[in-house]
Amino acid sequence: MSFLTPVFLLGGLAVALPVLFHLIRRTTRRRTPFSSLMFLTASPPRLTQRSRLEHILLLLLRCAVVCLLALAFARPFFRKAVPDTSVSAARRVVVLVDTSASMRRANLWTAAREQAQSIVRRAAPTDQVAVFTFDRQVNPVVSFEQWTAAGPGRRVALVNGKLAALSPGWSATHLGQALIQAAETLADAGGKQALGPGQIVLISDLQEGSRLEPLQGYEWPKNVRVSVQPLKSRPGSNAALQLVSESEEAAPQAGAAIRVRVTNAADSRRDQFRVGWAQPDGRGFAGTPTEVYVPPGQSRVVPLALPQAAGSQGARPSGDAQAAGPARYTGPERILLQGDDEDFDNTVFVVPPETQRLSVLYCGSGSEKDPAQPLYFLRRAFQETRRQAVQVVIRQPGADAGRNPALPALSAADLESPTLFVVTDPLPEALAGALRSQVAAGKTALFVLRSGAPANTLATMLGLQRLAVEEASLKDYAILGEIEFRHPLFAPFADPRFNDFSRIHFWKHRRLDAGSIPSARPLAKFDSGDAALIEVPVGRGRVLILTSGWQPEDSQFALSTKFVPLLYAMLEQSGAPAPLPTQHHVGDIIPITPAGLGDKSGAVVFAPDGSRFELPAGEASFSRTVTPGIYTLASAGAARRFAVNLDAAESRTAPLPADELERLGVPLAPQETAVAREAQLKVRLQDAELEDRQRLWRLCLIAALGVLLAETWVAARITV
Amino acid sequence: MRTTTSKPEIRSPNPEGGTPPFAGQGPATAGGPHSGAQAVSLIDPRTLMSIRNLELRARVVVEGFWSGLHRSPYHGFSVEFTEYRQYSPDDDPRYLDWRVFARSDRYFIKKFEEETNLRCYVLADRSRSMAYGSTGCTKAEYAATLAATLAYFLYMQGDAVGVLTFDEENRDYLPARHRTGHLRQVMLALEKPALGRGTSLAAPLERIVEMVRRRSLMMLISDFLAPIGRLESDLLALSACGHEVIVFQVLDPAELDLSFQEPAMFEDAESGRTLFIDPRSARKEYQRKLEAHCQSLRTACQRLGIACERLTTDRPLELALFGFLRQRMQHKRGPRRMARSKVGL
Repeated sequence: MSFLTPVFLLGGLAVALPVLFHLIRRTTRRRTPFSSLMFLTASPPRLTQRSRLEHILLLLLRCAVVCLLALAFARPFFRKAVPDTSVSAARRVVVLVDTSASMRRANLWTAAREQAQSIVRRAAPTDQVAVFTFDRQVNPVVSFEQWTAAGPGRRVALVNGKLAALSPGWSATHLGQALIQAAETLADAGGKQALGPGQIVLISDLQEGSRLEPLQGYEWPKNVRVSVQPLKSRPGSNAALQLVSESEEAAPQAGAAIRVRVTNAADSRRDQFRVGWAQPDGRGFAGTPTEVYVPPGQSRVVPLALPQAAGSQGARPSGDAQAAGPARYTGPERILLQGDDEDFDNTVFVVPPETQRLSVLYCGSGSEKDPAQPLYFLRRAFQETRRQAVQVVIRQPGADAGRNPALPALSAADLESPTLFVVTDPLPEALAGALRSQVAAGKTALFVLRSGAPANTLATMLGLQRLAVEEASLKDYAILGEIEFRHPLFAPFADPRFNDFSRIHFWKHRRLDAGSIPSARPLAKFDSGDAALIEVPVGRGRVLILTSGWQPEDSQFALSTKFVPLLYAMLEQSGAPAPLPTQHHVGDIIPITPAGLGDKSGAVVFAPDGSRFELPAGEASFSRTVTPGIYTLASAGAARRFAVNLDAAESRTAPLPADELERLGVPLAPQETAVAREAQLKVRLQDAELEDRQRLWRLCLIAALGVLLAETWVAARITV
Repeated sequence: MRTTTSKPEIRSPNPEGGTPPFAGQGPATAGGPHSGAQAVSLIDPRTLMSIRNLELRARVVVEGFWSGLHRSPYHGFSVEFTEYRQYSPDDDPRYLDWRVFARSDRYFIKKFEEETNLRCYVLADRSRSMAYGSTGCTKAEYAATLAATLAYFLYMQGDAVGVLTFDEENRDYLPARHRTGHLRQVMLALEKPALGRGTSLAAPLERIVEMVRRRSLMMLISDFLAPIGRLESDLLALSACGHEVIVFQVLDPAELDLSFQEPAMFEDAESGRTLFIDPRSARKEYQRKLEAHCQSLRTACQRLGIACERLTTDRPLELALFGFLRQRMQHKRGPRRMARSKVGL
């Protein structure tokens, strides 16, 4: 028997009252008329054994009345097993467990694992459950098929075993993509057989840095709900350390320094931190750290001087024909932050950008100070940046008259180290042959035809007997009418914002028959149809022929915005690899640039944890950047180092606003407490309905009335 | 020779009272032989009360009483002239001596022997406390029967009988008369039920003192279950007027010994007040107080020379009549000296 209002059963305690009154009752209701009470005084109460025994039935009847009344008010009813009318279909559940870097905070992963295990334990035998982990990408732990194959007795152990082997990584939280993938998985699974609604159980710390953009505009499948199980970390102070990225095109600054940003969380209780270069093992500072004061919710940029200035290995003075290789940094590579409670985002690995030193050999006459000469513009086109320092080496070819005695003469040795050759004057035969060898090795030579004089040198370069170059006659000026934007040289200009070359006027140009040159490919033509820029492959390199000079006498080319980018493209084409970034984030795909055209050698990557990855030849990228640290990529005899750091978004550990997911259209399932409350309400309503149908309180009241009548009758009989 | 109507003389073998010489002993009467006296069986009061008519009931008692004495209680109105007295307004004009009037032109009454008969007043308590009874006969019935018996007896003796009933105040009053139909009036007054909510002894006594100037016999019948603080002074006033007072206290046997067993809520008959009484524990104290109350009544009466007779409703009325006659005899001998000496004090 159950009760709708069990609190009224406390009224049954009033059964003690008749017992009490019965024990202490002193007066009899029997009245005896007497003539006068003037000689009588009231007698004290007297209990006799005889009177108790006589009234035991009366006492029982009175107690029964009290009990029946209490029972009636408590609204008793018999709870029958109510058949559950709702057909409970098997559920499909995807448990999505966050394994991003923010989950490395204290106790979060343990709580996540326990939550996942709890959900799996509570799954009904007919439910289908899949467990995925996610950070930057979604990783299946237990699929639906594995769950079904395991059988009801082994499923929990299967999931527990898999989860025990997992731990949070270092990647960012791509929550939106993970939810979409889970929803698609549920939608696909639901289409195969008649199953119940789908549910995604999200176990995550739901930090602010989670990426949710993919959810915008995503159309959720029907009958898929998301149940969020947020994890709360222990309260504490967290400050994050990020490297402030500098523009690679910026000019190198004197007194090289690395800038880091210290960001203090809004709920932090600390504001004093220490930042500095760390020991190689990362356990302490190498040197004196910098004290930083950062109020909660704010950030500060701290410059840190490089402990060892970046120098070039075997660097030589400027102007030397032997260009130097890339400068190598050999100082500390780890910056440490101390003073907060969470240390997962307190380390930044730094590989200072190496300045790539290249040289361009100018073979021609003229003064670099004369603006009417091509050298003047060439010298100024290549500016030194943080990533690249281009040295223009000037040599005068030949001992012709008019040779500037101040400039050194060109020798064969000068041809070995430059990456790009710019030839404006004819070269001696021997040097032309040497140049051809260099070009054939993979370099690029740009012949700028200020006149037809370098025709022979050009013929030698191209392996021709003779090359006819004549002056074109122009009415006013020529403009570039056709441009091969698919060629890597002009590909950067393919954007409509940059593809207008018609403003460059060419007052003079030479006419050269590209058809007479084998394998020649005009990359640009004048509006007259004459070739403006011709590419001729020579061995592994190329010869570019510009049929006009860029000095003002010939054209406005040097004065246009296309001049410098085109020169840099030529430089890059000549085998100088583009400066690659040295700072990456966990999960980034690192491109692998081959040493040169036709390079067939593979690469080897050394990870910070000591593991080694052999990449096959032709592999264009490396994607195993799963751990922060310094990686080394060795290919074609050259080694390149790069740093992988934590995504800055992972340090934004404040929880997402509660309605953020809903705002993005994610259909949330009601919370368990709400479900439980609803279930309780349903049970209560069912009980009320049952009680209303049975109405046992009426029987209790009628019984109480009957007992009361009996009590009255018995009491009257006793007093008579 | 003057013939006087003499009252029968009752001689009790026990001069202090006690059982009258019934049942064969027979009284010794003046001038009359007593032989073959018929035994008088005492009538149980409960049986007596079954006679519903009060006058008949009284007659049964009286005639039963006299039948044992072989004497007729009835005497005619023997006229025996003794002397004259001056006429007063309440005298019966039938007894005017016209010869004396013719001679003296003044009214004189012939004083006969019968005029020396008593004026008797029965003062009967009709309060609710008198309505109590545990023997099948209430005190009121017993008192009414006693009053009726005395009135009947005296009336048959030729005495004038009057009645005054009272409870918390005076109710019915009939002056003492001896005429046709008067006894019937007295019986009717005595038959009225006892309904009074209280008992005031002062009221009737004050009224009697005011109304009755001539010496009379006052028979006060009550249970006296009321404060008797003023009773002595009221009785004194009555005695001082020359009246002869006899007090009859009528009680129920249950009132004497509180013969109840079970505790109960005892309800006062007059006030309606209730008390939880356990008779077993209250009996002793009750009897002590009752006895003290009755003793104070007796003491007060003794001081005034007033006869006080206690009767219980289970006692045959014949014995009450005997006690009354005995008292009368004792009074003729010497109660006056006591009253006078008391008054003198």
